Amino acid sequence: MTKFTNRIAAQRHLLLIINTSHLFEEELFGLSQKAIERWAMTNQISPNQKILTLIKEAAAKLFFLANHSQQHITEEYMDIVSEVETVGTKIQKEIKDLNSKNRVS
Amino acid sequence: MHIYAFGSICRGDINPNSDIDLLAIVNYYDKRLDPQIFSIYSYKRIKEIWLEGNPFAWHLHKESQYIFSESRNDFLKELGSPQTYRDYLSDCEKFYDIFVQSKKLLSDQSTNKVFELSNIFLGMRNIATCYSLGCTFRPNFSRHSSLDIGEDSLKIPIEVYSCLENARILSTRGQGLQPHSHLVKQAIESLDLIDIWMVNLVEKARRYDKIYKQNCSSKTSSINN
Repeated sequence: MTKFTNRIAAQRHLLLIINTSHLFEEELFGLSQKAIERWAMTNQISPNQKILTLIKEAAAKLFFLANHSQQHITEEYMDIVSEVETVGTKIQKEIKDLNSKNRVS
Repeated sequence: MHIYAFGSICRGDINPNSDIDLLAIVNYYDKRLDPQIFSIYSYKRIKEIWLEGNPFAWHLHKESQYIFSESRNDFLKELGSPQTYRDYLSDCEKFYDIFVQSKKLLSDQSTNKVFELSNIFLGMRNIATCYSLGCTFRPNFSRHSSLDIGEDSLKIPIEVYSCLENARILSTRGQGLQPHSHLVKQAIESLDLIDIWMVNLVEKARRYDKIYKQNCSSKTSSINN
């Protein structure tokens, strides 16, 4: 697996978490800044909602990796790879919480 | 700092979907540069990709326009031609693998369809660019390279192609309408056709590479003799 395909896999994993939740009317099409902005606007997600902050955080980290993918693997690069995974876990937890809240209300 | 425009705006093939590609070459982090607007490279990295014969180096060499530098020199022009691009086979194989993975997921699951269709478009475009740069005399760096590489061009219904391009634009720029389900279905049904086209390009790249290596080794042995 190349770093390029790893980034696609990481993006796919995060999108699956969001899009299989069925909490949002329109699916998230990608993790570019503009795709996220569109998703937030269409689904009326306010800027300070935790799920949006987490998605933006994961996207920013993937963006960093994309811009450093041509360089040698540094410790910082590897740290950010593991941070993307951590944010993914947080997104999963947040989706679970949102689902529980939805069920209660 | 050096600033260049590159891509569609330099080729003149602009349409309402075109974005403006800008490159900034810097020595140090510069907070004035928004990475969402500029592709930011260090001078060191630009020199490296020139030596690697990287497709992006060739793209810049063929299709960039100098805009600004403090020193008023055209840095990229001064670098001359990049080295010959040699990684075409592994790159073609890489983009085929990306296609295969997305093709499989599109037939297996109902979620992330737009994202997977977007990856299909990415694979098609990049394999055509890498193949045309490595194995032909007419490199094509455009978004529509898959449709414009001569006899090897992809032949699929235009509505399927537009659906895939639309998915790419949704995924990267968040613009456009969600594709209708019947178009998505039609696109998925066309994946076998795209698969055959890609396999053919990879095979041609492999044959080209074999001939290139044979020529290299016969040149080496004639020098040794």
